[in-house]
Amino acid sequence: MPAKLVVDRLSHHYPDEYTGEDVHALDQVSLSVEDGEFSAVVGPSGCGKTTLLNILAGLLPHTEGSVQVDGREVQGPGPDRGVVFQEHAILPWRTVARNIGHGLEIQRLPRREREQKVQEFIDLVGLSGFEERYPHELSGGMKQRCALARTLCANPVVMLMDEPFAAVDAQTRITLQEELNRIAIATRKTILFITHNVDEAAFLGDRCFIFSRRPGKLKATVKINVPREQRIWKDLLSEKAYTDPRDEILRLVREEVFDDEE
Amino acid sequence: MSVLQTASIGLQKRFGRQRLRKILLGSIPFVVLLVMWQMNTAMEWLPPVYIPPIASIWEAIYTLSEGCADAGAVLSMQYECLFTNHILSSLGRVGLSLVIGIPSGIALGVLAGMSRRFAHALEPVGVFANAISGIAWVPLAIVWFGTGWLTTLFILLNTVFWLIFFNTLLGVRGVPRVYENSVMTMGGGRWAIISQVYIPGALPSIVTGVRMSMGFGWRALIAAEMIGGDSGLGFMIFVSAAEYKIEEVFLGVLVIAIMWMITDRLLLIPLEKWTIQRWGMVWRPD
Repeated sequence: MPAKLVVDRLSHHYPDEYTGEDVHALDQVSLSVEDGEFSAVVGPSGCGKTTLLNILAGLLPHTEGSVQVDGREVQGPGPDRGVVFQEHAILPWRTVARNIGHGLEIQRLPRREREQKVQEFIDLVGLSGFEERYPHELSGGMKQRCALARTLCANPVVMLMDEPFAAVDAQTRITLQEELNRIAIATRKTILFITHNVDEAAFLGDRCFIFSRRPGKLKATVKINVPREQRIWKDLLSEKAYTDPRDEILRLVREEVFDDEE
Repeated sequence: MSVLQTASIGLQKRFGRQRLRKILLGSIPFVVLLVMWQMNTAMEWLPPVYIPPIASIWEAIYTLSEGCADAGAVLSMQYECLFTNHILSSLGRVGLSLVIGIPSGIALGVLAGMSRRFAHALEPVGVFANAISGIAWVPLAIVWFGTGWLTTLFILLNTVFWLIFFNTLLGVRGVPRVYENSVMTMGGGRWAIISQVYIPGALPSIVTGVRMSMGFGWRALIAAEMIGGDSGLGFMIFVSAAEYKIEEVFLGVLVIAIMWMITDRLLLIPLEKWTIQRWGMVWRPD
């Protein structure tokens, strides 16, 4: 079966906003994500992770290399790729239910079907009872659940997540990670998850792509051989199948972070 | 005493303690003014040519409406209903300027907020027009349009349009990019972004623009009606002053203030509450 997301020798340059100097953000990146796979991209800050996500989302045009989703070349944003942004991306002037149904509204799904779907995803992410609330009445964690449900509800082929839990507190983050794992299993979504948090990447990912510092290159790929159904934080911390690859990822990332200080 | 107490408890229940206190405190200056005004009549500090008695202002309404038969006559703006005719024609101009000014100001403001090129083209002329807007246009407008509707409408539109345009422009520019991106990644096109992101996102700023333009517009309108109008409250004040009907001048000034307060309290503030406060987009002190 062909991969859902294929990135082939992707490079990206852009002129710096202030100095005008040429910035080499991505260098010959090739990777692929299989159907239903949860992949995580880890790397130090400034390694081009967000640039990669913006290119995959179609928000940034790519000049060198190719990006294919379901065998089709990416040209601009489209509903086949859903994005969960870092924070504050759900619309403040829409209720939770209207935010979650927004994608389907754009796809012009009839109202009755839409409401049914919306309810399904509200229940899935645990926001029942908050349908008619506005985002400013929700906690940070609930906002991200809402953002997750909004993306899932539009039923994209691939879900792209850009450090979605970076802005919530540590306690909430742990809960959200376990929730996301459960939801990813339930919906069998193909996911590319970007993070700088090594534990998070190893906890969630079937495979982790480790990026080098700028220009961002794919440095290594690490597989995590723990069945996703068994991933619960309190069990995992003592499990060698988790700690070994996590330490390996940590070592690879630290090499990048401390390289220039020596 | 007990009757007063029950009445006070009833009022408190109806409006809420905090609100009642606010209303009471806010009305103190008005009460002081009214008492002093009434005392002036009784003590004859200043003669009625300068400060007419309160009762005569009330009477002026009747004098100005003499021969005006009923509500039907008021609404059809028959000639005899002078008082209401002046109010209605001022209101009509404000209404018309809003009907034209709000949609066009928002439309061009959104366009300029979206496109740098458009903004570069429109911003300088906007600053230029804003500087002259209001009463400075009156003499020229009279030359162009004569006295009457067109002149006053022109003055009003000059105020309303540019304020709404600039506020919309700033509002659209202030909408976080991530909202636009998220709608784009859900497959939303340009129209979806305009109607679901830019306009609601700019609404706090647009509502401010409407409030400002109503405030400035009212003032410009009264001035325009005085010099270049043939009806309206400003015209009424001007003509009455020329005829030394001081109570009609007072009446006109009071009506202007009261009408502004009514529009602000009953229309604009509720609009703000319904939209931007409900969305948590505005900082609330209490």
